[in-house]
Amino acid sequence: MRGALLPSQLRAITSTRSGALTIFIVRRILWMIPILFFVILITFTLMHLAPGSPWDKAGGRQLSDTVINNLNIRYGLNKPVAQQFLLYIWSVVHFDFGLSYQYQNKTVSGLLLESWPYTATIGLLAFLLIIPVGVGLGVLAALRQNTRIDYITMGFATVAASFPNFVIGALMVVVLSVLAYKATGGNFYLPAAGFGIDDSLIMPVVTLALLPIAYTARLTRASTLDTIRQDFVRTAWAKGLPERLVVIRHILKNSLIPVVTTLGPTFAFLVTGSVIVETVFSIPGIGRAFVVAIESRDYPMILGTTVLFSLVIAVANLVVDVAYVFIDPRVRLT
Amino acid sequence: MQIGSWSRALTLAIGAVFLAACGGGGQTSANLASPDKQILRANDGTEPNSLDPTQQTYTYERAVAIQTYDSLFRAKADSSDVEPLGAQSFDVSSDGLTYTFHLRQNAKWSDGKPVTASDWVYGWKHLLNPALAAGYVDPFFDQTIAGASNYGSVDTTSASAVDAYLNGLGLSAPDPNTFVVKLDHPAAYFKWVATLWMAAPLRKDVIEQAAGGAFSSTDTTKAEAWANNAATIIGNGPYKIKEIAAKDHITLVPNPNYWAAAPKLQQITYYYIADGNTAYSQYQTGALDIINVPLADVTVVRGDPKLSKEAKLIPTLSQYWISFNTKEAPLDDAKVRLALAKSIDRDKLVSDIEHGNGKPLPTFIPKGMPGYDPSDNAQSFDPAAAKKLLADSGKAAQLAKMKLLTRNTTGNKTVNQFLADQWQTNLGVTIQLDVVDSKTVTGQHLRKGVFDIYGLDGWISDYPDQQDWFDIFQSGSCHSLNWGCLNIPGYDALISKADAESDKTQRAKDYTQAQKMLIDTAVVAFLYQPYEYDLVKPYVQGLTVTTTDDQYLPGDSRYNQAYITQH
Repeated sequence: MRGALLPSQLRAITSTRSGALTIFIVRRILWMIPILFFVILITFTLMHLAPGSPWDKAGGRQLSDTVINNLNIRYGLNKPVAQQFLLYIWSVVHFDFGLSYQYQNKTVSGLLLESWPYTATIGLLAFLLIIPVGVGLGVLAALRQNTRIDYITMGFATVAASFPNFVIGALMVVVLSVLAYKATGGNFYLPAAGFGIDDSLIMPVVTLALLPIAYTARLTRASTLDTIRQDFVRTAWAKGLPERLVVIRHILKNSLIPVVTTLGPTFAFLVTGSVIVETVFSIPGIGRAFVVAIESRDYPMILGTTVLFSLVIAVANLVVDVAYVFIDPRVRLT
Repeated sequence: MQIGSWSRALTLAIGAVFLAACGGGGQTSANLASPDKQILRANDGTEPNSLDPTQQTYTYERAVAIQTYDSLFRAKADSSDVEPLGAQSFDVSSDGLTYTFHLRQNAKWSDGKPVTASDWVYGWKHLLNPALAAGYVDPFFDQTIAGASNYGSVDTTSASAVDAYLNGLGLSAPDPNTFVVKLDHPAAYFKWVATLWMAAPLRKDVIEQAAGGAFSSTDTTKAEAWANNAATIIGNGPYKIKEIAAKDHITLVPNPNYWAAAPKLQQITYYYIADGNTAYSQYQTGALDIINVPLADVTVVRGDPKLSKEAKLIPTLSQYWISFNTKEAPLDDAKVRLALAKSIDRDKLVSDIEHGNGKPLPTFIPKGMPGYDPSDNAQSFDPAAAKKLLADSGKAAQLAKMKLLTRNTTGNKTVNQFLADQWQTNLGVTIQLDVVDSKTVTGQHLRKGVFDIYGLDGWISDYPDQQDWFDIFQSGSCHSLNWGCLNIPGYDALISKADAESDKTQRAKDYTQAQKMLIDTAVVAFLYQPYEYDLVKPYVQGLTVTTTDDQYLPGDSRYNQAYITQH
């Protein structure tokens, strides 16, 4: 029984804060198993309830009944749905997410690995942009409340939050790509599509980050304004602490708690891909792959992507919960 | 991954002056760009679902396959007949049942090995393996290859049943240069079936090596283990695959062992840009050489002094129509159907809705194919005659209860709203649109016959032979291609006769008679032949644009003759 803990050991561990944290993390990870099971169950059910079959085409020449029949046999769709579900769960337990229906002989895990790095790179860069820019603008606006800086910052945040990103993306392409190309004779412009570790990242990352930046800035401002009016901040000022210290140690540390809460889901949102950004800039990422899978009823691909997304969201939330422990000592691990 | 960087390096060279904008094709070595600039970048739109030609169905898959694999023949540039590709010639036995293909003697695979008749037998059997369920296999088992017609009843879980089926097919290789196909029925069009890209030869040794040894005919995973890897996709076409960048692009380079003269284009890159507007931006910033113009940008391109000179309007061998559910009243009445057909102003449809990208055509066979004959005016626009037909039928009230099944896409909704307006204006009948999710149209509505009027429906030629078109409206195609299910007396027998007829004149006569039946009974309301509007950079020369090319890739049937001029 290696790994099992005696009750006395367990008490000993939980009695320390880091021990409690370990138990908390282990428990949360174990909870993911039933969560994933239900995610699969619900996705599987919805998928099979949705009208349309993987072999119907949205337009043009349709497959003949004979071919469809043989395809159902090839991919096991002729079996009862309950049996298909159990077979799927059985293979997932063995870390086998099956073969895509749409891409011949490609495994779902292979397809996910193929497209996720693109999405993750852009998502991660956008995330790295959100923290300094979003938080920075929010704090700046709060500290200079009701000044021109505040109005400009919040005006920008409102505009950025209200424009859908397909509009922003398309506008940027027209201005920074097409018009810039024409104006400079092709010497200076941003590429309208494609992926590379170069200037082709600028427009997709900015487009993706704008909305979360606006959201984070507004949230940070509100939360910072809240904190500024607290007694302990007034005390800090009264003690004669320099502004830098008051802002960083007293205001920021406390005002960031609600912001951190949203950063988890924001991170998950960013790295699971945006179909719009990926389509407008033709990035071979997972967001587009997921939508294509849904449109073509590529069941194994839909399930595999959903499982991956659930995992990412669960882990992001776990990280946020753990981060609380360090930001706010009052948080209890139960 | 590095497309961003290299495309930039290339575009720097483009900016300056367009030296050779002449379309004549009389190039001299002086204006031919250097070999390292002989790169063609085009947009294929979507990544192929498979790179094994036998497993393909879509045109975006064909685009790659026709560069990497030669089928036996291809259509001549004017579509009048077939011309040699993998085969040099063929003989047909006097009973029309045995096709003997004399293969090209000097044909080689991209790894240098000779292409033999047994490679053709192997490729065709791979296509016809029922366990693999290839999407485009119908023309090969449906009334054609001997022993193939029970394709649908083979137990695909039993290797012995599949083997027995495959061994019983009328495919043989009496010697390395002769590929013999025996048919069940005489099929005058079979030479055209042999132009289809999925009927390619395949390499048994390469496929088995990729699978880790010989495998059972029911093992679909091993049978396709080779097809996702550039190193094991050994083809017999003018180009071979150099790089597969999943979901992003594919790079093709010349097959050094190809039988024809070495191509000038040293690289073809097909991007998979799904959004037409993105491709359009890429074209304008010099990152693509050939694109299809999105409908929304057509007017802009036409009005642009520079872009309009680079545009090509290319007829396709396709035709659009509106289907009527003839199993229900009042659409079972030919007068009602004709009234609907005659009250659509097709000129206005093409000019206003399609921005001129098409040819108004109230008949069946599109221009550019044998059988094109716009003289029958039974469905031509004539509001007065349409009103009279509807009044004679006495079913105007019933007709107003009908709905027009519409796919939930911007394009389809726009066209169908136009049609409903036309019926309102010219016929005085209000027909509502029934907009449904594109994906459910086929399964939930068309296959089950749950619709009144449906459109746009249509057909894209598989090959320029009339059999490919007239078979659509046979009664056996009810609920599969012939969604409206009209059963025209005498039609099936006439088509079966014409399909098998070896006398060309008689065959043409039969099809002419059949076309008249389709138009006069208004089996559907024929609307227009769509044209493609593409942009091609002036430095891309030597293109032979034909109606069998891909709609996004004008000239792609003969890219090995194209070249890039200095620019």
